[in-house]
Amino acid sequence: MSENIIVLMIGISTFLGALGLWALLWGLKSGQFDDQEKFLDGARFDGEDELQDALMMESKKQEALKRKREREKNYMPGD
Amino acid sequence: MAKVECSHCKLEFNDTVMIEKSSSSGEQLYFCCKGCEGVYELLNSQGLDSFYERLGSNKLEPAEITKNDDLERFDLDGFSKKYVKSTKDGFKEINLIIEGIHCSACVWLNERVLHRTDGVIEANINYSNNKAKVVWDESEIKLSKIIETIRAIGYNAFPYDPAIQEEKAKALRNDYYARILVGVFTSMNIMWIAIAQYTGYFTGILQSHKNILNIAEFILATPALFYSGWVFFRGAYYGLKNRFINMDFLVATGALLAYLYSIYAMVTQTGDVYFDSVTMIITFVLVGKYLEVLSKKRAADTLDKIMGSTPTEVTMVTGNSKELVPIEGVLVGATLELKSGEKVVIDGKITKGKVMVDLSALTGESKPIVKSIGDELLSGSIVLDSVIEYKTTKDLHSSLLHTINELLSEAVTKKPKIEQLANEVSGYFSITILLLAIATFIGWLAFGYGFERSLIVAISVIVIACPCALGLATPMATLVGVSKLAKDGILFKESSKIETVAKTTLIALDKTGTITEGKPKVVDFKEYEGFDVALAYTLALLSNHPISRGVKEFLENRFGKQKVIDFSETKELQAKGVVARLNDKVLLGGNLELIKSSNIEFSYNSNNSLYIFAIDSKVVATFELKDVIKENAKEFISSVHKLGLKVLMLTGDNEAVALEIAKEVGIDEVKANLLPQDKAQLIDNYHSNGEIVVMVGDGINDSIALAKSDIAIAMGSGADVAVDISDVVVLNDSLTTLQRAFKISKKVFRTIKQNLGFSLGYNLVVLPLAIMGYVNPLVAALAMSLSSLVVVGNSFRINRS
Repeated sequence: MSENIIVLMIGISTFLGALGLWALLWGLKSGQFDDQEKFLDGARFDGEDELQDALMMESKKQEALKRKREREKNYMPGD
Repeated sequence: MAKVECSHCKLEFNDTVMIEKSSSSGEQLYFCCKGCEGVYELLNSQGLDSFYERLGSNKLEPAEITKNDDLERFDLDGFSKKYVKSTKDGFKEINLIIEGIHCSACVWLNERVLHRTDGVIEANINYSNNKAKVVWDESEIKLSKIIETIRAIGYNAFPYDPAIQEEKAKALRNDYYARILVGVFTSMNIMWIAIAQYTGYFTGILQSHKNILNIAEFILATPALFYSGWVFFRGAYYGLKNRFINMDFLVATGALLAYLYSIYAMVTQTGDVYFDSVTMIITFVLVGKYLEVLSKKRAADTLDKIMGSTPTEVTMVTGNSKELVPIEGVLVGATLELKSGEKVVIDGKITKGKVMVDLSALTGESKPIVKSIGDELLSGSIVLDSVIEYKTTKDLHSSLLHTINELLSEAVTKKPKIEQLANEVSGYFSITILLLAIATFIGWLAFGYGFERSLIVAISVIVIACPCALGLATPMATLVGVSKLAKDGILFKESSKIETVAKTTLIALDKTGTITEGKPKVVDFKEYEGFDVALAYTLALLSNHPISRGVKEFLENRFGKQKVIDFSETKELQAKGVVARLNDKVLLGGNLELIKSSNIEFSYNSNNSLYIFAIDSKVVATFELKDVIKENAKEFISSVHKLGLKVLMLTGDNEAVALEIAKEVGIDEVKANLLPQDKAQLIDNYHSNGEIVVMVGDGINDSIALAKSDIAIAMGSGADVAVDISDVVVLNDSLTTLQRAFKISKKVFRTIKQNLGFSLGYNLVVLPLAIMGYVNPLVAALAMSLSSLVVVGNSFRINRS
């Protein structure tokens, strides 16, 4: 058996495993495992309502930021 | 009377007491109280009624209508300075603990409602610890409005300061998680490469193939040693800095030496590599360390809860004006005003008004005490009825409540004694092994075996010093013990505490709630002509006094839940009872003093607390109440005496009552009239006499003493704080179960000793062999598995009792 095959097999399998490990570490860092219950409920409560809700929150944040910027732009210090 | 389910909280009650309604779609609805009705209507009008589908078969607590008169405090400067942070986008952020969350539907509802509130940018609730992070835009909504929204749907929120403990503990836990994940990943992969290596060792392998396996192991072992193992290098460094050789040092040197030698073997292509040992040692020991970190985080969660309920502002009276000032700024001699329901934060003396205060947080006694002008007011007590003014005699930092909090955080964050001892022992162990290894190395060199061979033997000595059997001896026995105890309703939060329970020399018992039931119960009931259950029931409902509650419970048990009657006028008289008016009837409910002051001729002789119910100057019923001793209390005490333990009773109650109860159950040592810190002080005294103290208690007032004792045992029905802080929880409150806890713990401890004896014996045999260089991988592997199996088998014997 050639050495190349062994290198290839060990290399690819370890690399794939490392990818999984990286994903797990990323999930941990971004707080996805802080609450196990919610992690599971994410799958249970996954419907149109929840999508709408997430979209609403996103646009609400954008709007609030926009308003804030405008306020700051229009702010004129009294002299 | 048929039982029906409340449409909101899903609890079942008799239909006579329910509020009936029909919904817009014509469906028949029932509500157990106004609170539930309000929440149900709110949810329906907001289109959130799918909450009830999500709720499934879960039940809620009835929604209470919370008073919103404390809302303004959430918008004050002192409050926001303490709890509110600014995000980088310029929004405000706060961490809240939400009360009343029972299921994932509750989390869903709270998040949804907050999301729909204008100005809320983000709301995220953690189900497992009920903590929520809320981000909002200050220009659109005030925090008080957000809190009001949460209250409107039947939950309550109070703030906590995550900076204190929790955030740090969480970061530490996640850090360990990441390191363990890397460790587990690398050791699992190295293991299957190592199988090829070992096979090659016995059947022969081409050097070129071996090189590939070596390099693969090297690549995997490097992150394991330097990333996962970083904790040990750091620990070893701090240890050395303090002139102390610890277990970390042993692990770090063993792993590092093995690693360096393996690199040498890999590069020169001579001998075998030991990368697999490197990763496995690191990973196993790291998991053990992680368990320690977990228990610290739990303690931090508890602290946040206590601190969160302390007010940040008080009402200061200067001349004719009143203003809210932050508690830090209150000077000695300032006049403060307190309204009913408020908590005293600063000690002082009453200057105006007469009031009933609840001292249960301090003394554990559920009976409110009347305080009038000139009386001392201790922080931590809660004002129950009227409005009073008082002059402070201390500043915040020397006040009782603050001192308790300080002591508590000190006691929680470090539990000295035992941990120190464990460190000391492992320190000696580490030094011995290290010296042995060095001696072996020098010895082998001196006999002219060459550097390489000598180093390998020395490393094998270090590595074999952390063998499985010795490592499994304690955890295996405690694991079996803990699950056995859990089946019997005794929860150990930390398995290592079993050992301490078994070694106990002294048991300190709190009186109220531990030896006695803690709630006054009706022991005698007499009814006369004209008695009306519904009237008596409603009258008892009017007061939150434990006597009234006892009467209410008794009436519920005897006659079932009653319909609540609307009185036209009600008044609570301090330390006397309740007066109410219905049409032209005058109803009285209270003690003998109330009856006498209403000019009713009536006499009654009893040592117990009395509740008398009178209609129109005629006594129609009498209730005698008493704090009853738990069943089996006597048997428990005598069985504990038989085990050779000293028993001590601690109580905040007065001496006469304490002595009477002690006599009844057979306790010979009693300490009465104790404040929380006195209890803790007493425990400390016993410690300095060399006693190992178990404290059994259930109240907030016991919490410092619980934290100070070697083992804290809480009764399951006790205050949350007490349950959180203790090491052991007895779920069913029964003293018989507590007795079992001692018995099983002793048995577990005996098993641990057997296991340790066996594995030490094994070490004594194997270590010399390793030093002499006889340890062949196959023999070592077999011996290790066998010794582990013996230990595991012995541990399972605990279950057979």
